[in-house]
Amino acid sequence: MSPTFTRRDLARLAGLALPGALLARRARAATRARVGLAPLAGVELTPAAGRRALERALVAATGAASPLAALRTLFPATETVGIKLNCLAGRGMSPRPELVEALAALLREAGVGRERILVFERSARELRRAGFSPGEREHYRCLGIDNDYDAEPSTSGSIGSCFARLVSTTCTALISFGVVKDHDLAGVSAGAKNWYGVIHNPNKYHDGNCDPYLADLLRHPFLRQKVRLTILDGVTAQCHGGPAFRPDATWPLGVVAASTDLLAADAWAWRVMDGERQRRGMPTLAAAGRPPRWLATAQGYGLGEGDPARVEVVQG
Amino acid sequence: MMHRRAFLGAGAACLLSGGAAAGQRSRPPDLHLEGREASWYRKLPDRRVECQLCPRACQVADQERGGCGVRENRRGLYYTLVHSLPCTVHLDPIEKKPFFHVLPGARALSWATAGCNVECKFCQNWEISQFRPEQVASFPMPPETLARQARQAGAPLLSATYSEPVVFWEYVRDTALAARALGVRTTVVSNGYIQEAPLKEVLPHLAAFKVDLKSFREAFYREVLRGELKPVLRALEVIRAAGVWLEIVVLLIPTLNDSEAEVRDLARWVKGHLGAEVPVHFTRFHPTYRLTNLPPTPLATLERAHDAARAEGLAYVYLGNLPGHPAENTLCPGCGEMLIRRAGFAVRENRLRRGACPACGRPIPGVWA
Repeated sequence: MSPTFTRRDLARLAGLALPGALLARRARAATRARVGLAPLAGVELTPAAGRRALERALVAATGAASPLAALRTLFPATETVGIKLNCLAGRGMSPRPELVEALAALLREAGVGRERILVFERSARELRRAGFSPGEREHYRCLGIDNDYDAEPSTSGSIGSCFARLVSTTCTALISFGVVKDHDLAGVSAGAKNWYGVIHNPNKYHDGNCDPYLADLLRHPFLRQKVRLTILDGVTAQCHGGPAFRPDATWPLGVVAASTDLLAADAWAWRVMDGERQRRGMPTLAAAGRPPRWLATAQGYGLGEGDPARVEVVQG
Repeated sequence: MMHRRAFLGAGAACLLSGGAAAGQRSRPPDLHLEGREASWYRKLPDRRVECQLCPRACQVADQERGGCGVRENRRGLYYTLVHSLPCTVHLDPIEKKPFFHVLPGARALSWATAGCNVECKFCQNWEISQFRPEQVASFPMPPETLARQARQAGAPLLSATYSEPVVFWEYVRDTALAARALGVRTTVVSNGYIQEAPLKEVLPHLAAFKVDLKSFREAFYREVLRGELKPVLRALEVIRAAGVWLEIVVLLIPTLNDSEAEVRDLARWVKGHLGAEVPVHFTRFHPTYRLTNLPPTPLATLERAHDAARAEGLAYVYLGNLPGHPAENTLCPGCGEMLIRRAGFAVRENRLRRGACPACGRPIPGVWA
């Protein structure tokens, strides 16, 4: 089944997102299937260290001359940039506020106005649990979607959902800011699974290890056209027991990852999680019955590189 | 601006005389859902649980919810988030459910919470059934209050309906118990997609059960609502065997489940497994939710289904969503006498005498007093 969209969806995309999307697609074309990594260790993170790691990961992921050059290409100053966090697991396994602050500061230096940078999660409650303060911040506005969804569902393949208006209407460009962790059903919860948090009914789409549902969600034009960047806080990663925080299943991966490919960061996360699981004598995700098959489905849709073996890792 | 789903919730308590105060209706969007431990689940290793309420048998990790969206795993304990938290409460004629053989003309205090265990692409109430409890305006109303409200409103019946009572099954059970103590009877309007144990546990407390039989084809269940037919058929047999009054509704959707062959298969199964005297309602589809590309069911299709089911031997076959159609009426299957004349949800005439035909004396099954 092919995606179906309302006229309103198409008008929004044509009017708001396409010019920026075309620019960003051109920028991404040269760097597909690349994941940029920068080392970042330690539980106590200084803002300066976080910013340095983020800058190095951005340059490694894009091949740009500088982090600001990378961001200017991906996010022209006219864009309204939404940064979707994954805070389900609370402070233990959510993006660190210092890294999010650093990304927002870089976006501002790249020319995006403070009022055009929106950091959001499903609810203000989840943001607070993860250490964020909803409201106006120095470099961005922080808010929960809470109940603000489109009034009508939009269909893409097997899914039919009301999208957060932040995603469908307000933002013209999107960043997934996730973590590197195991997911009981999807296998991997990194950059892509984070987008389940922008639809009203994610609980309907966990059958079959989220395949093809997650792939169908990613190919909806709201996401396919607007998501330009994935950032993963991999300072600490979790190889089992997700999506909740399980301290005994975490390990110090010690990196920040970035990718402009919609799937590559997740494919890389799959690889490093399987590596850690094998080191611990645990079965791989596939052997445990939850391979992230949705990655191959999404790759089949032409959304990016979902094969862990084909992802190029560039150290920043 | 108010969305339709907010309007549904906001309108709920307004219809109750002396109902919930305005301050009780709306939940702030960020309000924490307290929840209470669910009755039907088992614990698995790694703080996972398996829900034992519906045949989906969701295995749910810590911090996650089941497919219904209203049950949540919290550190290895499974919680229902909607007990005592309806999003809509209305006084309806019992004919609206529809029950045509239950206290004709009576009013039923009808309630629902958010959530459903399937996703019908044609759902008429998707604005509550396909949302999580924190996404719709809900208000606290314990079982005792619900039962008391029914009694105060002069309603002899309660009806768990609108979304899917299976997902708030503990609330249904506790309300039925509270209502019985006040002389109010409880009915359920459900998809019948429920495991046997929880169904059997609650059935003794119910007066009537209406099942939406979505189709008589597994493929339809799989493709259009991501459910299964077989467990629904089993539930129908369990309800019938328990002696709880049962009626069946089939929404006929053009091209998807409206073939005469399917209708005849369904009618034969009902007659063979449940008995010819179980009422079957064929109702008209209207395009909505994710199925807006199909037209409303033609009248001819509905009448053909009616005639086919009658020809297969079913005694009480009705047509719905067709106000004024003769097939809304109850006729005596013995002598053809008009017994109950209806117009939409209104009962115009009830000629039953102590549950029997006044002309030939044939007993008519149902809950009449």
